[in-house]
Amino acid sequence: MSKSANIAAAGHALWANTPKVNTELFALTYGSLITEILRDYDQDISEVNVQLERIGHSIGVRCVDELLAKSEVNGINIPMCRDLRETAEVIAKIGFRMFLGVNCDVGKLTDKSFSLYLSENPLNIFVELPSMSEDEGGSGPDWNQLKYSNIYCGVIRGALEQVNLKVECSFVRDVLRGDEVNEIRVNVKEVLAEGAGEDYHEE
Amino acid sequence: MSKPTSILDRQIMRPKNDQVSMSAFAYLYSELVQYHQTRVSSISELEQRLSSSGYGVGFKVLELLAYRSKEQSHLTPPISHTVDKPKTKRETRIMAILQFISSAVWKSLFGRPADSLEKSIDHADEYMIFDCNPITSNFVSVHQSSADAYISGIIAGVLEGAGFSARVSAHTVDVEEGESRNGYIGLPSRKDKAVFLVKFAEKVLQRDTALER
Repeated sequence: MSKSANIAAAGHALWANTPKVNTELFALTYGSLITEILRDYDQDISEVNVQLERIGHSIGVRCVDELLAKSEVNGINIPMCRDLRETAEVIAKIGFRMFLGVNCDVGKLTDKSFSLYLSENPLNIFVELPSMSEDEGGSGPDWNQLKYSNIYCGVIRGALEQVNLKVECSFVRDVLRGDEVNEIRVNVKEVLAEGAGEDYHEE
Repeated sequence: MSKPTSILDRQIMRPKNDQVSMSAFAYLYSELVQYHQTRVSSISELEQRLSSSGYGVGFKVLELLAYRSKEQSHLTPPISHTVDKPKTKRETRIMAILQFISSAVWKSLFGRPADSLEKSIDHADEYMIFDCNPITSNFVSVHQSSADAYISGIIAGVLEGAGFSARVSAHTVDVEEGESRNGYIGLPSRKDKAVFLVKFAEKVLQRDTALER
């Protein structure tokens, strides 16, 4: 379909025009962030996951503006998404491509949800989750519960919130836990009404 | 499910795409700074926290670069036994390690060598690394050196890992007229550049002078 081809081409073009930095520095910086959070929350894994999602949300709200602004500057026209499939394609082909330079695929599309598949994840290039040893029993934290790249879920949630889509995002499959591919499941909860809410109504 | 092969058994290959966009790093770094900002009560504490975040990174960067340079020397086919293959050299002199940092480390992390390396005239144990466009404070509106504390942590980590105890701090100096101030595309050129002041411990200096003889 030419629409998808256009979206993919737009993603490549935007990626070509952004200034870039070393992936390893990016991965190591994320690693030190995770280490800090783990230290501060005393290795409470579920709390760490929540924090990562929150941090991602804060990043996500700024991503949409950047995507639209950069495409404007580069003369690339991203047409308004008419359905969830196009939204998913834009996130996967343009969003992930432009910010991270990775290929991302869309799948399992229903009218209220979709999945994103990431085969290469720049955040976990140096990472291995520690396995639970038998002698520890249940005393150590369950590292399998740690959603290392949960920040992506927050980013997607924050970004879609800016375009009035309230979604829930979660990691279904994770390469660090032994699966072959990273899968993020996005469920649309509701389409929010336009406008900034009661407090901002003009007099 | 069988246990996946340990990460230690895999090769440290460069990832297929070894770059991410500057914005991704900028967002992530700003979140790191904000995360610390909510938990500290003063600027110096913030700088200290950022510096310790960078410290761990420095160790790992040193190991990675040392391993990679050895890997590359293995790839060059031996022409004859008499030809010297470039070996991983462990730097033992102060100037050598500082040059390693300002060229190899900088090039690997930031894509370009540091702008200059200078020895302080007033203090024998102080050296300065200049960087006109440190990426950590690229998008910081009021340029305070606190954002660059992360980089000074990385430098300190590399030095410590190489056996040179030092204290590294980040400062800003104004860019003089006529100096090239190439900013990033789309950003106005900066009015100041970052200086990383490296102050070596006493025993490191003593060791260095002993090696000179």
